[in-house]
Amino acid sequence: MRRVERLVSRILLAGGGVAVACMLVGVVALEIRATRTAHPLDIAHVVENREAGRAVDVFVSLPQLAHALQRQPPDPVAVITSGVVVLLATPGIALIAAVVGFVAARDRRYAVIGAALVVGLVCGFFLDLGG
Amino acid sequence: MVLGAAAGAGVLGAILGLGGGILLVPVLTLFFGVSLPYAMGASILSVIATSCGAAAGHLTSGLANIRLGLFLALFTVSGALTGATLVGVVPARALQVLFGLALGYSAFTTIRQLHVEVPETLAADPLAQRFALEGVYHDHVLGRDVAYHAVRVRAGAAVMFGAGVLSGLLGIGSGAFKVLAMDTFMRLPMKVSTATSNFMIGLTAAASAGVYFGRGDIHPVIATPVALGVLVGSYGGTRLIGRMRNTTVRKLFLPIVLYLAVSMLLRGLGVLH
Repeated sequence: MRRVERLVSRILLAGGGVAVACMLVGVVALEIRATRTAHPLDIAHVVENREAGRAVDVFVSLPQLAHALQRQPPDPVAVITSGVVVLLATPGIALIAAVVGFVAARDRRYAVIGAALVVGLVCGFFLDLGG
Repeated sequence: MVLGAAAGAGVLGAILGLGGGILLVPVLTLFFGVSLPYAMGASILSVIATSCGAAAGHLTSGLANIRLGLFLALFTVSGALTGATLVGVVPARALQVLFGLALGYSAFTTIRQLHVEVPETLAADPLAQRFALEGVYHDHVLGRDVAYHAVRVRAGAAVMFGAGVLSGLLGIGSGAFKVLAMDTFMRLPMKVSTATSNFMIGLTAAASAGVYFGRGDIHPVIATPVALGVLVGSYGGTRLIGRMRNTTVRKLFLPIVLYLAVSMLLRGLGVLH
């Protein structure tokens, strides 16, 4: 296996692992909070609430999320959401790592292709592309 | 139950090179009563989770070709950017009919080569040589190394661009098109096509994931079992595909192509909404 493949594979695996760890920690913390305060996050409420507008317990920006994580103890839903954010960011980080890997391997052609993709994906982010 | 459905979607996604949304969205909306925006948010997360879990394994086994993936993703992303800017200008329905017919043709081609384990060696495309669109993987079923190189690179790139345009115009995933472009047009082994597609779908989904997050469509309570199930399932799927023949993967892929061809044609003709 070439260096770049190994690097990208490790980043994808690490990103998935960190995301899963955050989500599991958050779910356990949520369960503990639910048993202590009798205030569980009700899935039925979430499912039904979407039609009426955004659920109140969803984080929609990184500053909002960071603020909730800084609280003592951190908000369990914010901990789960941090796992979601890590997962969403992982392919982008892997792509940037691939570009770095190609530069290090002096594969200029694929370093340029990778960098062009990074630019394209950033543009796509602002244009709201489909998956 | 969501965890189990997500794990199943992950296994299939890793084998077929798809994001799993085609399975997850109906399951979440029909069986669990999740509203469509949340199901779509879970679907985009599922695409990325499948890509992370599957591509990590596929890159290690040598089935996913990172150069091929990046080269073709360039056309998909530029097509998607073009499509997104053409919303309202190009008749989306006509494009759906066109792609429905293209998928129908691909299904027909897939049926014709249903029993082809490894494509016959054709003269290498100069573009494939220039961009190193080739590789070798060890096939555990055949018990030997399989070398491959892409042919008809321009045709494959054109399909990728078209799939991107459709994706940008309609906001749909294009994993099936990616696999077909590599398998049917570029004559790559089926397992290489699906594994490389797994790497690519994560990249394109990442571009729109931030928007779903900002809209509040990714709810942690729904996202957690989906992400966990898909990650575990897709990593398991990479183990399974190693023990499968290319022909088996193609047989599993055929119903998906047929379903997509029919649904796209019906949507294009206005029968389905």
